[in-house]
Amino acid sequence: MSAARATVAVVRSERAPLVDTLHEWVTTVDHKRLGILYIIYALLFLAFGGIEAIIIRIQLIRPHNTFVSPQVFNRMFTMHGTTMIFFAAMPLVFGFANYLVPLMIGARDTAFPRLNAFSFWLTAFGGLLLYFSFLGGNGLYGAGNAPDVGWFAYAPLTSRTFSPGHSTDFWILALLLSGIGSMGTAINIAATVLCMRCPGMTLGKMPLLAWLNFTMAGLVILSMSPLTAAQLMLLVDRYLGGHFFDVQAGGSAVLWMHFFWIFGHPEVYVLAIPAFAFASEIIPVFSRKPIFGYPVMVAATLAIGFISMSVWAHHMFTVGMTSAGNTFFVLSTMAIAVPTGIKIFNWLATIWGGKVQYRTPMLFCVAFLFQFLIAGLTGIMLAAAPFDWQLSGSYFVVAHFHYVIVGGILFTIFGAFYYWFPKMSGRMYNEALGKVHFWLFTAGFHLTFDFMHVPGVLGMPRRIYTYEPGRGWDIWNLVITIGVLFQAVATLVFLGNLLWSKLWGKVAGSDPWDGWTLEWSTASPPPAYNFPSLPEVRSRRPLWDLKHPEDPDWHYE
Amino acid sequence: MNIGAFRSDPAMVTQTVEVPASTAWPIVLAFGIMLVVAGLVTSESVSALGGLLAVTGAVGWFRDVFPRERHELLTVSPEVPAVTTGRTTIDRTALAPDRHRIWLPVEIYPISAGLRGGLAGSVAMAMLAIIYGLVSQRSIWYPINLLAATFFPTAGPQAAGDLTRFYPSMFFLAAALHLSTSILVGLLYGAMLPMLPRRPILLGGLVAPIVWSGVVYSILGIVSPVLDSHIDWIWFVISQIGFGVVAGIIVSRRERIPTWQRLPFALRAGLEQSGMRDESHHGGEQ
Repeated sequence: MSAARATVAVVRSERAPLVDTLHEWVTTVDHKRLGILYIIYALLFLAFGGIEAIIIRIQLIRPHNTFVSPQVFNRMFTMHGTTMIFFAAMPLVFGFANYLVPLMIGARDTAFPRLNAFSFWLTAFGGLLLYFSFLGGNGLYGAGNAPDVGWFAYAPLTSRTFSPGHSTDFWILALLLSGIGSMGTAINIAATVLCMRCPGMTLGKMPLLAWLNFTMAGLVILSMSPLTAAQLMLLVDRYLGGHFFDVQAGGSAVLWMHFFWIFGHPEVYVLAIPAFAFASEIIPVFSRKPIFGYPVMVAATLAIGFISMSVWAHHMFTVGMTSAGNTFFVLSTMAIAVPTGIKIFNWLATIWGGKVQYRTPMLFCVAFLFQFLIAGLTGIMLAAAPFDWQLSGSYFVVAHFHYVIVGGILFTIFGAFYYWFPKMSGRMYNEALGKVHFWLFTAGFHLTFDFMHVPGVLGMPRRIYTYEPGRGWDIWNLVITIGVLFQAVATLVFLGNLLWSKLWGKVAGSDPWDGWTLEWSTASPPPAYNFPSLPEVRSRRPLWDLKHPEDPDWHYE
Repeated sequence: MNIGAFRSDPAMVTQTVEVPASTAWPIVLAFGIMLVVAGLVTSESVSALGGLLAVTGAVGWFRDVFPRERHELLTVSPEVPAVTTGRTTIDRTALAPDRHRIWLPVEIYPISAGLRGGLAGSVAMAMLAIIYGLVSQRSIWYPINLLAATFFPTAGPQAAGDLTRFYPSMFFLAAALHLSTSILVGLLYGAMLPMLPRRPILLGGLVAPIVWSGVVYSILGIVSPVLDSHIDWIWFVISQIGFGVVAGIIVSRRERIPTWQRLPFALRAGLEQSGMRDESHHGGEQ
């Protein structure tokens, strides 16, 4: 007993003081710590965005509800969308990319470690500035506080006439800062993939996660630039008397739409491609088979990246484009289903005939396959211009993109959390709590977003503050809100599991999943230098080669 | 099963590793820039403070990397995790060498074989159809008019009695339909024949036409009730089989050409990859 106490005392005395630990984290340029900072920051904003979603849904739970005022409701859906896309989903994706890409390609760090730290802090301060608007957004006119122009902030709503005060300025400046941070991270990821691969790792032997994050980085660089340019133009309009988006002075409101959506639709793939990356790593390991059709998966990813840059105006069918324009964007949007379908078939073919282990990460990925397929199908429906004319701006569209972002992307992110948590923390998560999280969240997701399609088809417009009873929307809105509560409880279970497991979870060891990629060859959590010596690889599954020298992969690749 | 650590060369493992040194300048610069823009919506003094911090951060960062990037040395832990696997091994029963789990079209017929097969099949089918017209209606134009009327009911006569006469428009329509469809089916035949195991002529020439006829029989009543009432199904099946057998014989007589199916995708796509050719040689035998 006394010996045990002595050991504990020694361990405690070896711990650095809190202030030193904080200093280490704040000044770090280590890609793993920055990755974890990104993830923690994103989880914080995920909680904020989630609370805003709950407020929106409580307001809509029944007709004529007055849980919040119309002004607060507008702020809630604006902040929910902005937060979830720019300050939760993107930082989550960047966090995992930061943590995993160097480890998986056998590098000691990213290509530009200091730029990496700068990019993270710029993104983080952008988020803080956005939320500071709740306190400091009144400006000179006392006109509202947080932004309330919707997450895509169409002109002329953003002009000073319709948005007096500074609430919209906070939105512009926060996104400007985080956009520059995102571009810094994207440049870093691309440079790391191109220049920092370990000996033997040709592009054809690179893990799919690295390929997909490389594609994502290219998309960020291409798509963030127009948004940043548009934000600057909007600032010029608001501060310097510019007329870029001022229709009455010869500007164009549609110009903003083009600028926003040429960012906005590739952004969906900025989030989805890393989600595909997680699925492409998790599904093979838990199916105990290599990924089916690696080269085709890479080609399909590049095709998705390429096509996604040419589909933006399907968000604008109701604007009244020419029939040639409509036809082009209908066809290009439908074309993107082909490489996406190839991916789904390849994941299924990977599972097919495998020795499938339904651990929590795999459960999330299997659900992702079904849900992303449905999201894709409703996407094809909305890609048909005549269908879109009927349902654009309705809750059907809201249901569709939440199916993509929650049912597709967030599910694989949860899978990634469970899969790499042992590597990041050195501890195993609680499997039972993981499964409780999965089933609760899946039930909540389907209650909310399956039934959200119905009021959309029945004509319920998105962003509506309240509604008249007797239109057939009442019961659906009640069910949708109940589903959100399921998701909230499930998320609390998830966060509780992470905390509990970090403190008291079973020690994970370096390779709890019998994995095949390089991150599983080093300690959990990995040392700051990642690898004692740079690894040398001969195939896409270097650890398989090491574990099975009698039947290495490089014989077949 | 403990296998070993991931070290290609133990001599390469050093006692210390050089990594970029921690630094506060990136956060100082980022905070400064944030204050500069926040000043636009708060107060000029905030922007001024931000500008000061940003300049300080930028200068500090510059001094961090010039003239030489600042690094710190980390001691390498002597404990390197062992690479292990929990995979259980099992004995595998070898397949007989002449048994294949899949049939890859490693050799195919050239496109011209499909074209010729389709054209030859179309002639055989047309002859059988004309014989049917002579026997049943005493007119060679009956099957031709019937075919054209299926797709273009407004181009010619509607009444059954008129179907025995010659109509130039119906003739050209039917000829175009028959030839184009025959060529397309011939191309499909040429592509699929190498994938059909064992008796390809039997499968492609007999089984496929019967299955196809069954499909048409089941849906034609819905698609075109008029045509359905005029078709003699025995002759229909015979003419389909005639097409299949003749096309199959013509296609199968041509010499096959090898495909790149055995080769890795990267090589087929023209991408360079070191060691690909040697590895493909091993892989191709699997």
